[in-house]
Amino acid sequence: MKRKKNIKRKSSAYSSLSLFQKSGTKFFKPCPLSGKEAPIVNYKNIKVLKKYISESGRILPSRVTSVSQKKQKELARAIKQARVLALI
Amino acid sequence: MNCYEHTLITRHDIQENQNQNIIEKYQNIINKNSGKVVKVEEWGLKNLSYEIKKNKKGHYIHIKFDGIGKTIEELENAENIDEMLIRFLTVKVKKHDLETNYFEKKESTVTIEKK
Repeated sequence: MKRKKNIKRKSSAYSSLSLFQKSGTKFFKPCPLSGKEAPIVNYKNIKVLKKYISESGRILPSRVTSVSQKKQKELARAIKQARVLALI
Repeated sequence: MNCYEHTLITRHDIQENQNQNIIEKYQNIINKNSGKVVKVEEWGLKNLSYEIKKNKKGHYIHIKFDGIGKTIEELENAENIDEMLIRFLTVKVKKHDLETNYFEKKESTVTIEKK
């Protein structure tokens, strides 16, 4: 984690120039579901869950959505519960 | 005692009185088997996102209750036989969330006033 942050600070001036980005390095993006004003992950909260499924109803991987490991587990469970009730 | 949330889906072609009967029936089952009903929510008629047993719509009933393992066992045994139900789900929660209702509808308040 520390290393990723350092990379971002150094390359912040060049962040728009993705051409010069080393292959394999990622920019750090905070998790959208953790933090103070994050939405509650719950099988009843369909608005939030719909953001994290694809058009065909599959769960999106966390490397695409940059959701943290802990929240991704919660999310996967909530989506599966909502599927049982035919909400999604 | 643990906190549980229970959601039922009943068939759309039944009458409204029957819906009330179903709620009472399962409330009684919970109360008899050392459980305690905290709150009942009606989410109303909703479209199912996929067909279940050739049904496209269903009435959603949400019950929050405290209970033990035996309560759920008895409750689900009774529901497995019931032909009025399409599906049910029990979820264990750490604490009851009584404030937010994600499926708020005006219809549910009207039915309470009529009583």
